[in-house]
Amino acid sequence: MTVSDISQRQKFFAQGNVYLPHIAVIEKIIEETPGVRTFHFNLKDQKLQKDFSFQSGQFAQYSVFGIGEAPFCISSSPTRRGHLEFAAQKVGKVTNALHRLGVGAEIGFRGPYGNSFPLDSLKGKNLVFVSGGIGLAPLRSLIWNVIDNRNKYKKIDIVYGARSPADLCFKYDLDAWDKDKTVNMVTTVDRGDDTWKGKVGLVPKVLEEVAPSAEEAVAIVCGPPIMIRFTFPALEKLGFKPEQMLTTLEKRMKCGIGKCGRCNIGNIYVCRDGPVFSYAQIKDFVSSEY
Amino acid sequence: MAKKISKKDIAQLLKAWSQQFAVLAPSRKRGVAEMAEWDGKDVSFLDWYRNTVVPPKASFLPPMEEMFRFQKDKGKYSIEPPSKNGQKQLIFGIRPCDARAMAILDMTFEDAYQDPYYLSKRKNTLLVGLGCANPYESCFCTSLGISPSESADVDLMLTDIGDHFFIEEITAKGKELTAKTSGLKDANKDDEAEARKAKETAYNKVTRKLDTEGIKDKLLASFDDEEFWQKAAAKCVSCGICTLLCPTCYCFDINDELVKDEGARFRSWDSCGFSLYTRMPMENPREEKWRRVRQKVCHKYEFYPMTFDIIACTGCGRCIRLCPVNWDITKVLESVPAEAKAGK
Repeated sequence: MTVSDISQRQKFFAQGNVYLPHIAVIEKIIEETPGVRTFHFNLKDQKLQKDFSFQSGQFAQYSVFGIGEAPFCISSSPTRRGHLEFAAQKVGKVTNALHRLGVGAEIGFRGPYGNSFPLDSLKGKNLVFVSGGIGLAPLRSLIWNVIDNRNKYKKIDIVYGARSPADLCFKYDLDAWDKDKTVNMVTTVDRGDDTWKGKVGLVPKVLEEVAPSAEEAVAIVCGPPIMIRFTFPALEKLGFKPEQMLTTLEKRMKCGIGKCGRCNIGNIYVCRDGPVFSYAQIKDFVSSEY
Repeated sequence: MAKKISKKDIAQLLKAWSQQFAVLAPSRKRGVAEMAEWDGKDVSFLDWYRNTVVPPKASFLPPMEEMFRFQKDKGKYSIEPPSKNGQKQLIFGIRPCDARAMAILDMTFEDAYQDPYYLSKRKNTLLVGLGCANPYESCFCTSLGISPSESADVDLMLTDIGDHFFIEEITAKGKELTAKTSGLKDANKDDEAEARKAKETAYNKVTRKLDTEGIKDKLLASFDDEEFWQKAAAKCVSCGICTLLCPTCYCFDINDELVKDEGARFRSWDSCGFSLYTRMPMENPREEKWRRVRQKVCHKYEFYPMTFDIIACTGCGRCIRLCPVNWDITKVLESVPAEAKAGK
């Protein structure tokens, strides 16, 4: 992160203090799966909402006052700025509290933090998106970003999977991408049900079947750690080099700005140096710390 | 020009400084040696003080600190920023190892995003160092390039030269302070020679040595040597004391509290020694103790040097002295295999 990046972001600090949240208002809630919700929100300060800028891949700290803060990526695309979005799975203290909120509720928001997907180096490339479960949240920001600038990129493959049809997130996106003739959308589930007519199989395996070419390509991977661990070798088999694979990592975080220590792996802080990394950057510790 | 002050005038000196600063000095009033607000008379610490149990980071990154308050009114929230505390502080008696620790902490809190809580206190504080004439057996500062009686990380540095303290002006801020302080005498050549002798004696009293040459690369090569780390962590009870009382450890947690409609967000010390520290709902990258011990050691001797080009340890020896099971970081570091295991 360069000094100019930081000074760019400084203007979004509440009262000059990086730790103070802004108030945001929930505008809409979408039930993605029984445990996952997407929250559409706007910053209460309208001028700030208008001036606010971020890039695909960046995250923010969201808080339910009195309960605490948790980090989530901004899951909407900077190319679609009617509102901002994030998605949260109901798993812990803060996410349970978020799931109890309704439209109109106020939450805390500070960010954006972290780096972003390197759009410049993706230009003119074939893009292969590989994702599982709620891991699609950060990628959908990039996917919509890319689709909204479609002529800058070549082929787009998306392989997305979930445990079961009921666990598929962002079904409205999956439908839209499925209908988009410039996108090869492959959806799979680990276990089908009576109504499921799509593919059945784990994401890394289905990826090998789809077999996208590594030529002039970049793979962008995000999903549960177990999926990520098996997807990198699958991509390597297809000829992808570590530099051609990008992912965005998730760790427990408190400060979001490289101070509190807990997202540290090796000499990197996921919040400060990531969350977007190439496999080349992280492959040495992927086996032991992720 | 260096100054000096008669030992019997120290109380007078602190009294004068108390007019302009909140003066912190070594204290045992709360049962444990720490830097605490000086009571205006007691300078007995000059006799008993070797080093504080609680490191001086507590004055800049308190064990618990309010970040801001918030009010709730019919579902709407308003945030009340922290009040600007412009109180000027002076810490009297900081040891060179701990002063270096502050310089090491500055790197993190100034890096990329500025931490307003830490840095505002740091900016408002003068450090007056006191040479360490009686190091503990567990001290190994000289192995980290620190001398127990010399420091470039303080504003003023005091060295015991018999019935006087020899005073060196290290920074412009320190010089400014001595210029405004009455009762100081100019030191002469003999005082300087005395001070040099005292420093040399103190340096030689630190007998524990750690060979830090190439330690970063050795740790890098041994990162996946689970057998080594299992052994290194075997007796650790994960109490966290070696991190909480480490002068260069800075990890913190952030939590909210809300009572009726009044709430606050706090930060508090945390430790990579606790498994909850990294626990996420689905998994925990450092559930096992050996991974946490590895994190602690490698963060200080491998990762921090990779990022900031300095080992995040000052050899203050607290983690050795205060450990309930005699875990010893120097023993662990001495036994890191020189070569990565074959087959890695």
